[in-house]
Amino acid sequence: MLPKGLLLLLIIIYSCAAEHETSMLPEAYVDAAQRSTHTNNWAVLVDASRFWFNYRHVANVLSIYRSVKRLGIPDSQIILMIADDMACNARNPRPGQVYNNANQHINVYGDDVEVDYRGYEVTVENFVRLLTGRTQNGTARSKKLLSDAGSNVLIYLTGHGGDGFLKFQDSEEITSQELADGIQQMWEKKRYNELFFMVDTCQAASLYEKFTSPNVLAVASSLVGEDSLSHHVDPSIGVYMIDRYTYYALEFLEKVQPFSKRTIGEFLQVCPKRVCISTVGVRKDLYRRDPHKVPITDFFGAIRPTRVSTDRINVTLANEEDFVNEVVQSEPRKQFKIILEPQFTAELIK
Amino acid sequence: MTTALAFLLLLLFTPLAPLALAQIHQSQYHTDEQFHEELVVRPLAGDHVNTYFQFTTRWHYGNRNNLYHTQLTPRVIAEILQTYDVKELHIGLTQGLWRYETWGYPIVEATGGAELWAWFSSPNLTSEDVDKQWMRLANVFSGVLCASLNFVDNTNSIAPKHIFRPQFMHLGNQSQQFVRYSTLPREIVCTENLTPWKKLLPCGSASGLATLLNSGYVHNTKYHSLGVKVRTLCDSSDPDNCIVELTQTANLVYDLKLLEQSSTDFSLRRLFGMGLNGYCELATSSNIYVQRNEQGERFQLVPQPQHELTSTVGGYTVLYGVYDIQQLFAGPGARLFNIAWVGAKGNSNREQTLPPPLYAHRYLLGNGQKRGRIATEVTNTHYEPLPVVLMELVPWYVHAYLHTLRLRSKPQHLHECSAKMLKFQLLHYAPGKQRELPTHLEIGFVLPAQSSALITIEVDYLLLKWLEYPPDANHGHYIGAAVISSQLPIGRNYTALPLEGHLFKDSFNASRATYLLTLRTEALIVSLPTPDFSMPYNVICLACTVVALAFGPIHSVATKLIIVERQTTMPRNLLRKLFHKLTNRAGKRSTDVVGDQPLKRKPDGEPEAKVEEVKQQPDQAESNQSCDKQASM
Repeated sequence: MLPKGLLLLLIIIYSCAAEHETSMLPEAYVDAAQRSTHTNNWAVLVDASRFWFNYRHVANVLSIYRSVKRLGIPDSQIILMIADDMACNARNPRPGQVYNNANQHINVYGDDVEVDYRGYEVTVENFVRLLTGRTQNGTARSKKLLSDAGSNVLIYLTGHGGDGFLKFQDSEEITSQELADGIQQMWEKKRYNELFFMVDTCQAASLYEKFTSPNVLAVASSLVGEDSLSHHVDPSIGVYMIDRYTYYALEFLEKVQPFSKRTIGEFLQVCPKRVCISTVGVRKDLYRRDPHKVPITDFFGAIRPTRVSTDRINVTLANEEDFVNEVVQSEPRKQFKIILEPQFTAELIK
Repeated sequence: MTTALAFLLLLLFTPLAPLALAQIHQSQYHTDEQFHEELVVRPLAGDHVNTYFQFTTRWHYGNRNNLYHTQLTPRVIAEILQTYDVKELHIGLTQGLWRYETWGYPIVEATGGAELWAWFSSPNLTSEDVDKQWMRLANVFSGVLCASLNFVDNTNSIAPKHIFRPQFMHLGNQSQQFVRYSTLPREIVCTENLTPWKKLLPCGSASGLATLLNSGYVHNTKYHSLGVKVRTLCDSSDPDNCIVELTQTANLVYDLKLLEQSSTDFSLRRLFGMGLNGYCELATSSNIYVQRNEQGERFQLVPQPQHELTSTVGGYTVLYGVYDIQQLFAGPGARLFNIAWVGAKGNSNREQTLPPPLYAHRYLLGNGQKRGRIATEVTNTHYEPLPVVLMELVPWYVHAYLHTLRLRSKPQHLHECSAKMLKFQLLHYAPGKQRELPTHLEIGFVLPAQSSALITIEVDYLLLKWLEYPPDANHGHYIGAAVISSQLPIGRNYTALPLEGHLFKDSFNASRATYLLTLRTEALIVSLPTPDFSMPYNVICLACTVVALAFGPIHSVATKLIIVERQTTMPRNLLRKLFHKLTNRAGKRSTDVVGDQPLKRKPDGEPEAKVEEVKQQPDQAESNQSCDKQASM
């Protein structure tokens, strides 16, 4: 603590002497405190409901998936959980496509999608194991949340919920206390730097009420006692397309570019009551930064602070020449005859 | 006419920048790794078109330490070969059912859902090790292919005894070989599987034939199947001289009636949504083979293939037109390439296709949710008897009884009334165990010429525990497809690759004494007895309501005293009220004297309360007492 303070003091004194402009200092300091310190981004996107009539929840989660992927989070750092298959569902007249709008403007499923947990794998147990990093032995790497103390994590949940719970697959539910415990454990295990928790379900605000962990910013599509509503029906598939909150969130995110100056503060106001019908709930008391100064790409993108260096940096690979020579000098290998075992059980032929 | 004209406008000259790279021809350099891409288009009966993509990466590597430095082989494949003792691996992800009777045999076999089997071999390998490695392997590929292969465990895996033989070459014969097989018939296949599958290719989906695999057009098909096959081939004399072979296949069947209602003409662009933009620069060869005879005779090709070749396999000749994509794109100037199949006008009398020599069907018999019978029907249309091996994997929630296994030949004609029993040549049965092991049954028999065999086995459906039901319990539970293997003496409808070869090209003129055939039947769906999951909730709600409704009145009847109170006539006026009170008090004093006796007579109770409540005339005290007694009874 002391050397850090000393260093800061020194910097202040130095810049005072150099700039002769004391009025700049506090602002620069405030900016430094407001600047993000994250080094990588992760996203956990969960659709918890099964069955065709919950098409809208899949469209919800895919909307966010599309946005985070477009803004630069790679598939290896997105954990996508989808409880049912809508794109290739026999009821879908457009196989391999999921739209957010009856006019079919945006195919949120896209041509390049990787679902990490799907179908019966989407359970409360798997979700909690994923958050807390207690996955079973032998779990594939793409099914693990390998975040660290420098990760900004986006958690998005959608499904059918109630006061204090969210249903998974119509057969089990996660409670707000379980969620809060999971996030607390993440904090204790240094699995996140900042966490943005977003939930689109009925009475969504009840899900973040029990949070106590620091650096968590939470937004919910509706307050306790309110229902979250869907946006519109597509008569050609006979079900609701998407939920209101996510529809407007996607509308906003579609305008965000990787280098845009849009902030989380703007994003939190994306769905006023007149369009959402439900009241969007926000919880900021655990979050130390001002959302209006946090770029939205801190959570939805994967832009990392870059340091420009004019110094020379040695990036030679160890023994690079060895590999190159090996390839060039290799001689054609000896061909051999392929003889396989008899492929049909011999006893029968007799 | 206009459509025909449209088809003639085939070569679109559009500039494509990345193809400038194509000038660097990979095959000029010698490497130990080679990549080949092939596409086979076969028109099938009934306005169907089969397109088969095969991407083969073949890596001739030296010693084992070298396995991490891959160039074209995906690193994950090299790593699993390094980490696990797996020598051969087959994964299939399929949606739809292959119709053997009209379509003939596919180039690569697959069953609906996910299917995987693997061979493990290494010195000092035990069966327990293999079980562990098998589950790990499935977990790895569940991540690689985004499928729920992590559900593969010992409760749904078996070790087939006769039906699968190793297709790899191992170092000497001293080490034991183990095989594991499992299916997940419920698995869905969609873009999320196609995307990572394409990412295993050296060029990804950036260039080459893989650009044709667009999700919207792949999932529009009647049948689509993705396959991954890995095997290692080692020189038996030199253990350092090995080959890793990765074959990725995509087998699609389009229904032309769904694509275009008016005509049966089609083109690459119509099937895949776009023309071909070139070849994969890393590929040694990129070819398109188009079948010209049988159903292919109906069509004229525009542009004409560069050359044609005939392939005679087992007495049956197939004519193929060949397009060498590398030659087509050799010149400068990039463009999109398209092939059109234009049907002859007024040629509606299509020849009826002959059914293939051997095919099978499977169905469930019986009714109710308690027991049933699995029936498999294998038909031989050939004029010689055929040896058949059939393997069943019955999941643990269905109990199969070996003593009910029947194998009889089905009468072909109506006048033959007696069903003849057939003889088992081979029988392997491993009974299942609830929640632990599936039932594994393998039978072998000789199927007489021109006949069908019916194999039936009786099963019981188990009542699962509450938490063992999936979230959509009423959908039913699956029994995976049966696998049938045989040896055909003729090559009719037979298109599979010879096992020694690795390219589709190797199947040309590959006549053998016999042809190994593997078939898959339909998967079955059984509705196990499913409880009404909301029933306990309903019962609790109903019972609570009844109790609550009953409790209130009973409690008040049991504890409260019912007293008939006389209406007092209280005057409204204040003055009169005072007057009334005064007179009342005077009256009460007189009643106390009279009413003392009945109060004393009461054996127990709270006389104070009664005094407060009882506001009555002395002459009614007697009747009130009897009322109280009644209530306290």
